[in-house]
Amino acid sequence: MPPEEIEVLVFVAAALIFALVLTAPATPPRAMLLRGGVGLAGAAAVVTVPTFELALFVVLALGVLQAYIGGARSFALRLRPVATAVAMIAIALLLVRAQGPEVLDRLAAAGLAAGLAAAVGLLPFIHVFEADEDVASSPLAWLGYLGPVLAVVFVARTQGVLDGAAWAAFGAILIGLGVLNVAWGGVAAWLATDDAAAWRYSFIADWGLALCGFGLTVADGRRATLVVLFGIAVCRLPLYLVWRQAKPQKSPTDRPVNLVVAAALAGSAPFAGFAARILLLRGATQLFWPIALVLALGMLLWLPGSLRLGRSVGVPRGRQAFGVAVVLVLNAVVGLYPLPLLAAAHL
Amino acid sequence: MIEIGAGIVAWAGASLVVLGDGRRGLALGVAIAGLGLGALAWLDAGPAAAAAVAAGGMVAAAARLLNGQPGWRVMPAGSTPRLVLCVTVALVGLWIGFAVTTGPGGGTRFAALTLLVLAPARILWSEDPAALLTATGVLALAMGVAAAAGGVTADIWAYVAAGLLASAVAWLPPRTPRAA
Repeated sequence: MPPEEIEVLVFVAAALIFALVLTAPATPPRAMLLRGGVGLAGAAAVVTVPTFELALFVVLALGVLQAYIGGARSFALRLRPVATAVAMIAIALLLVRAQGPEVLDRLAAAGLAAGLAAAVGLLPFIHVFEADEDVASSPLAWLGYLGPVLAVVFVARTQGVLDGAAWAAFGAILIGLGVLNVAWGGVAAWLATDDAAAWRYSFIADWGLALCGFGLTVADGRRATLVVLFGIAVCRLPLYLVWRQAKPQKSPTDRPVNLVVAAALAGSAPFAGFAARILLLRGATQLFWPIALVLALGMLLWLPGSLRLGRSVGVPRGRQAFGVAVVLVLNAVVGLYPLPLLAAAHL
Repeated sequence: MIEIGAGIVAWAGASLVVLGDGRRGLALGVAIAGLGLGALAWLDAGPAAAAAVAAGGMVAAAARLLNGQPGWRVMPAGSTPRLVLCVTVALVGLWIGFAVTTGPGGGTRFAALTLLVLAPARILWSEDPAALLTATGVLALAMGVAAAAGGVTADIWAYVAAGLLASAVAWLPPRTPRAA
């Protein structure tokens, strides 16, 4: 198994442990452990199965299970994105393996990128969102929990099936989708009417950076992506879980802790998001400097949205306060010294 | 010729899933699709693969007969757009499978392409859990056969996974959303 995929699996496992130990969710812990454990086992299966096709079967099975566990949205609404994503990727794999004109490979690259975006729930395929839905049955399960593993595995396997020109096209499409998600997610996290939607869009904005990192196809891009995925699973998702418990207070606060949380969410120094942004800008400059300019402008959009989200967390107490402290310390450590994280993934 | 015939049978089965709303129509559709795809799997990967796919289709059909809306309900009023979709997908599938792409396995390419479009279309179109789960089963079977399209020899596990997933999802009882 590639070390990068194992490492992202560890990030996701850490998020599950955080949810179980350091939060007090409305869902009973046993049900949460079962749902999270099934998701983690599914993600591990996606990493370990030998072929891309078998990984798609696992994703479809996970999609059916997630649609089936119930929630505020209908079964159809929850099943549709995953079925669409899996079908798009399967068609793309069929086209890339068939003999025919070169344009088929480029169509396949578009299908693979679109399928990845649809599976994770990114623009232009965002999933229908219900603010009060349990995390396990909501689109956040794909954005923050399963998505990082799927993305790393899918991109690695896509590299194995696409040839040079199609791989370059795939990268370009990912960068385009990434910039779209950065811009839309950043603005929507700032201007969304309710905090739940703002949190969801903040995940989408982070994913925009991850897609750009994948699309850059240089080492710094992959490094940046790994750190962004760390930030999604070990910073944004845990803080979102803390926010879900602070929500009944309905009173934004302006304490120092809110400012620090906002800084971590915005990718300010010394947190992990800052290292990811530096790596991303360096990779973009190596490839084509105007991309770096666009990304740098897009990164400014994190600031207002993150200040809003930081205030929405309230003043954590007890276990949650300890959890927030752990998240902030871990992110600061990775932000200050990301080398061990990158070295473990052989990047 | 057998390959082309099997591809058309698979398309006809998937079309029945798209056009039918009743449990009998859906069951017959997934059974026919399973048989067509099973024949293609035999040609591409041998009898074990064919057995896995065909059995998946049959088990899914048996499960569908037990729940869902009663009767056949094939082509109910207002289903003209679905019929147009089925015919259009077949024509585009024939063009891509036999003209745009080349090499052996044209029937498999045609069947896989058409089913990989029709099954998600049914999922996007429907709210009925029985139809959704049947279409998911057809999608899984098509993914198994698509693994061998393009002349790539697929390993048996793709067919086994397809058959297992198709038969497993069909047994899930329907669920309704709960209020937030």
